[in-house]
Amino acid sequence: MRKDDKRPGKIGFLWENMSGLRIVFIISLFGTLVYNTLQLTVPYFSGQITDLFLSGPNAADNLANHRDLLWKLIAGMILITLFRVIVVYLDCMGFEHVSQHALYRIRNTLFEKIEHQDMTFYATYRTGDLMTRLTGDLNAVRHMIAWVLRMILQCSSLFLATFVYFFMMDWLLAVSIVALSPVIFIIVYKFRLKVKPMHISLREKFANMNTVAQENISGNRVVRAFAREDHEIDKFDAINNDYMETARATDMTWVKYFPAIEACACLLPVILLVVGGLFIISGRITTGEYVSFSGLIWAISNPMRQLGSILNEFQRFSAAADKIMEIWYAEPGIRDPEDPVEHPGRFQGKVEFRDVSFQYSDGTYPVLKHISFTAEPGQTVAIMGETGCGKTSLINLIPRFFDPTEGQVLIDGIDVSSMRLQQLRKNIGLATQDVLLYSDTVEDNIAYGDLHLTERQVEKYARLSAAARFISHLPEGYATIIGERGTGLSGGQKQRISLARALAIEPSVLILDDTTSAVDLETEKMIQQGLRELDFNCTKLIIAQRISTTRTADKIIILQNGEITESGTHEELIAKKGYYYELVKLQTGLDRELEELIRRTADRAAANGKEAN
Amino acid sequence: MAKRKNTFRQDEALETPFDIRHLKRAGVYVVKYKKQMLIAFLLSAVAGITALFDPIIVQNALDIAIPEGNKQMLIWLAIALFGTYAVSIVFAVIRSKIMIRVSQKIIYDIRKDLFAHLQALPFQYYDDRPHGKILIRVVNYVNSVSDMLSNGLINLVLEIFNLIFIIIFMFAVDVDLSIVILCGVPVLAVFLLWIKNKQRKAWQQVSNKNSNLNAYLQENISGARVTQIFAREDENARIFTELSENCRQTWLTACRWSNLVWPGIDTIAVFIRAAIFTFGLVIFAATDTAAGKSVGVIISMASYASRFWQPIMNLGNIFNNFINNTAYLERIFETMDEPVTVKDAPDAEPIGDVAGAVEFENVCFSYEEGKEILHNVSFKVAPGESVALVGPTGAGKSTIVNLISRFYNVNSGRILIDGQDIAHVTLNSLRSAMGIMMQDSFIFSGTIADNIRYGKLDATDEEIRAAASTVCADAFISRMPDGYESEVHERGSLLSQGQKQLVSFARTLLSSPKILILDEATSSIDVQTEKALQEGLNAMLKGRTSFIIAHRLSTIRGCDRIMYIDDGGIIETGTHEELMAARGAYYKLYTAQLEDVL
Repeated sequence: MRKDDKRPGKIGFLWENMSGLRIVFIISLFGTLVYNTLQLTVPYFSGQITDLFLSGPNAADNLANHRDLLWKLIAGMILITLFRVIVVYLDCMGFEHVSQHALYRIRNTLFEKIEHQDMTFYATYRTGDLMTRLTGDLNAVRHMIAWVLRMILQCSSLFLATFVYFFMMDWLLAVSIVALSPVIFIIVYKFRLKVKPMHISLREKFANMNTVAQENISGNRVVRAFAREDHEIDKFDAINNDYMETARATDMTWVKYFPAIEACACLLPVILLVVGGLFIISGRITTGEYVSFSGLIWAISNPMRQLGSILNEFQRFSAAADKIMEIWYAEPGIRDPEDPVEHPGRFQGKVEFRDVSFQYSDGTYPVLKHISFTAEPGQTVAIMGETGCGKTSLINLIPRFFDPTEGQVLIDGIDVSSMRLQQLRKNIGLATQDVLLYSDTVEDNIAYGDLHLTERQVEKYARLSAAARFISHLPEGYATIIGERGTGLSGGQKQRISLARALAIEPSVLILDDTTSAVDLETEKMIQQGLRELDFNCTKLIIAQRISTTRTADKIIILQNGEITESGTHEELIAKKGYYYELVKLQTGLDRELEELIRRTADRAAANGKEAN
Repeated sequence: MAKRKNTFRQDEALETPFDIRHLKRAGVYVVKYKKQMLIAFLLSAVAGITALFDPIIVQNALDIAIPEGNKQMLIWLAIALFGTYAVSIVFAVIRSKIMIRVSQKIIYDIRKDLFAHLQALPFQYYDDRPHGKILIRVVNYVNSVSDMLSNGLINLVLEIFNLIFIIIFMFAVDVDLSIVILCGVPVLAVFLLWIKNKQRKAWQQVSNKNSNLNAYLQENISGARVTQIFAREDENARIFTELSENCRQTWLTACRWSNLVWPGIDTIAVFIRAAIFTFGLVIFAATDTAAGKSVGVIISMASYASRFWQPIMNLGNIFNNFINNTAYLERIFETMDEPVTVKDAPDAEPIGDVAGAVEFENVCFSYEEGKEILHNVSFKVAPGESVALVGPTGAGKSTIVNLISRFYNVNSGRILIDGQDIAHVTLNSLRSAMGIMMQDSFIFSGTIADNIRYGKLDATDEEIRAAASTVCADAFISRMPDGYESEVHERGSLLSQGQKQLVSFARTLLSSPKILILDEATSSIDVQTEKALQEGLNAMLKGRTSFIIAHRLSTIRGCDRIMYIDDGGIIETGTHEELMAARGAYYKLYTAQLEDVL
């Protein structure tokens, strides 16, 4: 993907998403400084008490005559500590608030971005991978704000403040103590280079594991059916192991660099001892000054120590942020046109294909070739054809799940690609082949497209879809919760709920993609009846295998290898004795009976003709 | 009362309250590595003891070497100091190496067991809750608990030892002041107990809300097309924002408690320090001069007091960590405790070679108590016979075939295959003898070849191609950009539903089952293709017992026997001709379809 010039860096990205609480973030950073300064005062009071009342020359006298001072010091110690813990608490909460705020913003926006992505995107990214981005990767972002950034500030401020303090006391000693820091920087830099690819690979393995587990859970029926539990366990074991090894290797990289960094940090007090000792001997500094140095040496060595782990965490964040920003800045190929043609209100429902050809971006052969047809408002058009002939691809072009490679798809004479997506799709009811219901109540599933549906209306659409009877037999009727993807219901039941869901939005264009394939004939008949009884006007495009579904259509289109080969009414096509005729023969399986039926139809047609005359 | 199914809207109630058993159980995963952990512990302990020499060395430098101006001694002391550090570093490296391995192994072990247990759970488990909620346990929760079970435990023990040593030293120096210091402990205990309850509930809420979010996320990614066609993006974003807000709120609430632990301990600590000075300098001194504490005693007690609180602070952090993570741990164990209802009987044996005779003996079955789906169903099917199950939707056709493969246990009665009760054979051997094709032709992400190979893991490319040809899938697969090596996806693949069914057909064929079950397996395949498929299907059915559920009569007619299922039982049974002659339910069904044609 080409890197957009306007795209901010990773930290800039965080900063953008802190918007609204940036001030809290800055205050929190400031709080960290305050808290660390206060941390340095801890020994002060104990020291004062010890000096004044215990070990100092006037200790006994002070204790006897200046007891109020003792109380003041003790009170001071307590108050400062109370103040400090309050600052710490508020500071921690400040960082939590900011990080949760940014997390919340990024998560919600990411969700929206994913929702608006086109089908090509969904064919590219696996579910488990996308889920990793919104969970594990986001957690790395949270950690970055709540912990890593704070640690960076804490370490650098502590280091700098102490160094300045040391420098003012004795510049030569201060410089000799930090003389090793360039070495640490070089080591840490090398470590960073090494660990970066490891973190990238680690999160990749994590996403893989997420995918394998997710597919195993979603496909649990297939796993059971093939008794492939052991195979699945092996498959998961391999990936589990792979993840473990990568995680271990990543951690081990740290262990490899740790001794060198730690040794450098440990050398600081040693240098202090030697150089400081020599300076005392030569009289350059006093013992008291030496004690001040040694009391604060940790404030120089700890930040150096932590540099490594901070960078480690930073790389983890960086690997995660790459993945998040990839989705954030991915533009869907199918989106609202720049200059949309407004077509508010209910559509008439005229659907027209004008010389449409279509090919998947990674496909080698065209799926649809020069398709032209028109469905007038209120008409029913049936589309039939062999498995893989392009039926679903054809109807996918209407709600713009894909854009045609050539030609135009028009609704009410307006090219669908010039309409706003929401406006277009709100007018289309689609019951897909792959029935996807949500683990929610039956009622909420039916009212998915129109939240304001009353209970009565939900029941009405269930009745029109011949689903009312079985729903009323469910344990809790319309309030029964159905499993994810509708598990627990039979195929036919799922299809009927999906149909009710499509009808409930009262679309002006209703597309049924083989929606009744799993229902029995009697039910199907009821559905046909229901579709005729709709109290709103709608154009119906129906993909079906069954003659019983298609026979009353105003027009039947036969699609073969992406081309329309036959088109006409049931009677016309039977008379043509082509593909459709064969289909009818096949389905009834009884040539003789069919001949008989055809003869009767011909008679009836003739009779009708006479009447017309 | 039947347990209500769960959705993304509801938090999952935790059935078992937390108790020490959870930790004991977690212990099982730790005990495996007790040797490594013991070594790591000893290394840390030794490193800790070595560190005790540091002040002595510095003391010597300041007291002897420097005043004497003995540069050589100074250098030697510096080397010695670095020596003790070096020992610590070496030990720390060894400990890290051991513990990285152990903590990763613990994650691996828990995840492995959890996943294996999930493989044994019945459909019902998966049907009752959103899949995202199961997923988050396997993937995310397990990662969270590992550190607590490895390094957390070692540090816990180390800090406790540390604490004990300090207490001993304290008492050795001065008993009175030690008691003053220890007075802080009950206060601390009350504080921690109070906060523990708040914290635990808060973190359980966090885990609940995250689980809800994950559930919604997973369903929405799977159902992206549905969202888009219903133009529900805004509404879904609103729901997601709400779930997201819940996550944020619960997290902040939990942090409000967790972040209190450390400041709380710090506050108690400062009061103790104040008490030492007060008691040491004023109270003990004022009451009795003999009991008055010497300067040295008070200074060392003040320093012990701060050293006493350091391990307690660390223990506070460990405590925090434990409380946060038990929220995840209990969810993991809850899943592992989920009962496996369908499992091998203790005396189960492999079913052996199957001829394919299937018999139902007075089988009764219900999914939920009181709602019997099948009532006293009995029938016999001879090896090689093909049986079509017809009847209205929801009559129990799928239930019958699900019982044959023992996806559920019967309430009463028996199901026999070749005279063996299927309740007494191993599930694996039973299901391996069957080929089951369901409506939902689930496609795993991977290549088409991989998906077909799922039926027979060691199948050669030729076998895969042959199976695909038999089910008429070869033509369209070959036309795909990379042929059999084309990548397909669980979700957004470019295969049509019919094509997916053909692929899963090939998959079933490849497994060469003795008993074949086709549950609406061809519903999305067009009639023309099905006709072409018929030849392959006939070859497939030959010599195999088969149960076919279909609505398309052309599929049903060719079967040896047709059973009409309704009202919890078999209403009619016979060949197509017999049933047509009987003019019953099947006749009605058949003629209805015929009439419908015109």
